[in-house]
Amino acid sequence: MGIPIESSPPPGWEREGIDGLLGLFPPGRLSEIVGPRSSGASSLLLALIARITTSGSSNWGGSSNGGQVAFVDGMDALDPASAAAAGADLSALLWVRCGGRLRVALSAADLLARCPGFALVVLDLDDLGPVPVSTCIRLQRAVEGTDTILIVRRERHREGTPASLVLATRRLAPQWMGLRPLTRLAGLRSEISICRSRLHSSLSPLGRGQGEGLQGEGLQGEGLQGQGIWTLDWTLSQ
Amino acid sequence: MTRIACLLMTNDLPAHAALLQVALAHSPRVEDAGAGCLYLDASGLQSLFGDDGRLAERLRAAAAAAGVAIRVGVAASRLGALAAARLGSGVAVVEPGGDAASLAAAPLSLLTLSEPLAIRLSRWGLRTLGELAALPTAGLFERAGAEGVQAQRLARGEDPRPLASWRPVPAFEETVECEWGLETLEPVVERLSELAARVCGRLGARGLAADGFEWVCRLAGGRAHEGGLTPAVPLTEAAAVTGLLRLALEARPPRGIVEGLTLRARPTRAAPAQESLTDPSRPSPRFLAATMNRLVALVGSDRIGAPALLDSHRPDAVGLGAYASPSPLRGEGRVRGSRVRGAAPVLALRRLRPPAPAAVTLASGRPVAMRSSRLAGRIVAGVGPWRSSGEWWTTQPWLQDEWDVELADGTLCRLAHDGSAWHIAGVYD
Repeated sequence: MGIPIESSPPPGWEREGIDGLLGLFPPGRLSEIVGPRSSGASSLLLALIARITTSGSSNWGGSSNGGQVAFVDGMDALDPASAAAAGADLSALLWVRCGGRLRVALSAADLLARCPGFALVVLDLDDLGPVPVSTCIRLQRAVEGTDTILIVRRERHREGTPASLVLATRRLAPQWMGLRPLTRLAGLRSEISICRSRLHSSLSPLGRGQGEGLQGEGLQGEGLQGQGIWTLDWTLSQ
Repeated sequence: MTRIACLLMTNDLPAHAALLQVALAHSPRVEDAGAGCLYLDASGLQSLFGDDGRLAERLRAAAAAAGVAIRVGVAASRLGALAAARLGSGVAVVEPGGDAASLAAAPLSLLTLSEPLAIRLSRWGLRTLGELAALPTAGLFERAGAEGVQAQRLARGEDPRPLASWRPVPAFEETVECEWGLETLEPVVERLSELAARVCGRLGARGLAADGFEWVCRLAGGRAHEGGLTPAVPLTEAAAVTGLLRLALEARPPRGIVEGLTLRARPTRAAPAQESLTDPSRPSPRFLAATMNRLVALVGSDRIGAPALLDSHRPDAVGLGAYASPSPLRGEGRVRGSRVRGAAPVLALRRLRPPAPAAVTLASGRPVAMRSSRLAGRIVAGVGPWRSSGEWWTTQPWLQDEWDVELADGTLCRLAHDGSAWHIAGVYD
């Protein structure tokens, strides 16, 4: 009897849901998550951090021990309570607070990208300022040939960056509990779409190597549902 | 025939090291019992120093010459020798086979007993070792267990445990004298690199690592330039140590011509761990230590580490702990978050640090508009207030009303009122 090459995901794992989305981030490449405020970008980052610190991989085929994550926090915005609620192992998270200094954040990310062994390096810039393309290329080169996933999170996507995967997040609607009057905030529904993918050409909306110039507002179109667009409900942890 | 000598100090404990030297000068096997008490193996020393009495006198004289006043007891067991030293008049020798008889009148307090057993023996009315030795062994075992039987064997002069030999703590220190004074940093680092290789070689030979390094540069004119570093993880690799030393010296170079160098390592035992083929890779200690040092220089030591949730309900009660060296063993018992596979993904809050002051317009007690340097707009939906307070028993009590609001542009944020002013605590993202 033959053994199937592709093993089955563990129970509870959704290949088409967020689990499948988190598995898209390519090791050894630069990826970007872009989106405006309250669009679910930080929630997506925390879900990825939780996945990696607990299972060691962004795919469902990780090990029982988690990987190490470095989080370069440009704006000092990380909420460890949210990270813990998302399931992250805080002891496996190296938090570098840059206090709103762009150059410091870029230097810190460069140092960490060159330190082999981190499964994920996050550079969270939000609206801290534009990043020179040359810096992005330098970061991309730093992780090439390693198993490190490098993600830059910022508000807008810039043309010319060497990112292999660009995910755009868009808010759809907040979820409230109770009728009028409302009683509490339950969560947020957001849409995540692939702006650019140089690795998953079947998921890239405009084909391999294309998609530049999309300014982080995601893609529209009914025909792409289930192929490059995810609609996710983020729940507020009380 | 086993003979044990007990050396019991009668003056201050700082002379303990000198007493150790005296004991080691007479016997290679010495046990440090602490609190000014040493045992040395006196078996077979008769051919060197004469009988037990002469050995005891010699030991006492040698200690006196070293400035240590001691009493000496020689017997076949440690307890017998201790009793002889403590109860004797300076030098006491118990003849072979006479331990039980000599211990019979000694108090029970000579034994190191657990508190329950000591209380039990006291309730039985036992005061001396002889009374304990005379009890029937089977009955004692039924009532006091193995510890009682063990105490009785000691009281009978039996001493089955061999001496635990004392070994000096090795000093991991290397020194080099520079024949020609070193005026620039590069040759200083080269010399330190050689010292690091020697120190790390000695550490590795003993299966140890170092969690701290100190160096001393002796400068011309009799001055000294001292410094130290604490790597993020214990190190044994000379190249990694050299890199850290270079960084530290570049940050604070010696001001003068270097005539001599000393490098000292603080040893620690590095727990060996088997790497797993299936586990994800971890940062190598060498690279991680160098990266952490550069990051500390970049952002400051108080802005880097592993986030830790503090035991408080105060908003944004987080701290930064040390980012520990990842170990293959760390998977055991570590603290993880609460999310499980298949659970709904969690909405994150982005904190504004410090919270941004805001001007909030109220209507019927509810916020309807807000304006701040970070966010502004009409509030189209909101829930609250969520009231919380705490630490009123301290000098820094806190009180907060929180609102979750949606602005007209779709931004979801958390507003907070601390009793005197409004501010934006964070933005949901």
